[in-house]
Amino acid sequence: MGKVIVVTSGKGGVGKTTSTANLGTALALLGKTVVVVDADVGLRNLDIVMGLESRIVYTSMDVIEKQCELSKALVKDRRVDGLTLLAASQKNNKDDIQPEQMKTICDKLRSEHDFVLIDSPAGIERGFSNASAGADEAIVVTTPDVSAIRDADRIIGLLQHAGIEPINLVLNRFSPELVGNGSMMDQEDVLDILNIDLIGIVPEDTGVITSTNRGIPLVYEDASPGSQAYMRIARRLTGQRIPIPDLEQKGLLTNIVNWFRNR
Amino acid sequence: MNISLRQLFGRKPKSSSIAKQRLKLVITQDRLDVDDRFMTRLHHELAEVLAKYFEFSVNSVSMSLKQEGNSYVLVADIPYKKFHDVNARQ
Repeated sequence: MGKVIVVTSGKGGVGKTTSTANLGTALALLGKTVVVVDADVGLRNLDIVMGLESRIVYTSMDVIEKQCELSKALVKDRRVDGLTLLAASQKNNKDDIQPEQMKTICDKLRSEHDFVLIDSPAGIERGFSNASAGADEAIVVTTPDVSAIRDADRIIGLLQHAGIEPINLVLNRFSPELVGNGSMMDQEDVLDILNIDLIGIVPEDTGVITSTNRGIPLVYEDASPGSQAYMRIARRLTGQRIPIPDLEQKGLLTNIVNWFRNR
Repeated sequence: MNISLRQLFGRKPKSSSIAKQRLKLVITQDRLDVDDRFMTRLHHELAEVLAKYFEFSVNSVSMSLKQEGNSYVLVADIPYKKFHDVNARQ
């Protein structure tokens, strides 16, 4: 029996789809069976971010309308074993799907995979309720800025109300340099406000742009800091205990003080 | 404390601490589901009552909701000039 995890944020553009694509791929690279589900009906993007856009034949809408079997709608990612994608319909809108129907799909997928990752649309309306309807757990993605954090707090409230637990935080687009000079909130600031568990910090990485351009998730490039961060999060999702490294770039004085302290 | 020390040395507070402070206030109001007009109305009515006892400028009053552990605290900062002699008025 696998886990159904909804990847959500409230605010758009904070990296939900990038995180879903990378965590899904990372989990498959770790040998897990994974299906990533695009729940953004009408505005699908998980397919193009993963480079699978030319291979979509059926969508979750076709499964709901009984046009095809669920297993037939799953697009196999040929680059890694055990990874498939269930695309969203681009011609429909969010109101064409009921939360109950999403739940039925999730329940079927859960019985056949280790992980089901659902890429939620932005917002707190129907798209979000559909995406979270069948979820056991949640990953909330936020960036360290005021609007993303405020929206994340709202989403966390809704997830708690729905009884979804645990809710883990991914702090995305973290800039060690900006945190170091006091221009960006650090993880402690963010956790102090949001009050949930941190599952990982993904540093700002320009590699995300080029990997999205190519449709090859960043986790295939071992050396990039973003890739390493996503791999660590995936390991934590499988239950491994991996400490979260301190990414903050401290000033010279702090480094000297810490050096003496740690001796 | 951190901020006030910095201000003492004539440096601007870091924008990250301003962000955190502002977020804490707004999220407390979001969580309590406080109506936008609620605070203005409370501010207005409280000022009316207080004006009977103090001399102060309405614009100098600042009010906010804060979360302390599991409870919420209404903090009002009212710089006043002097007390009115309430007994003399009656």
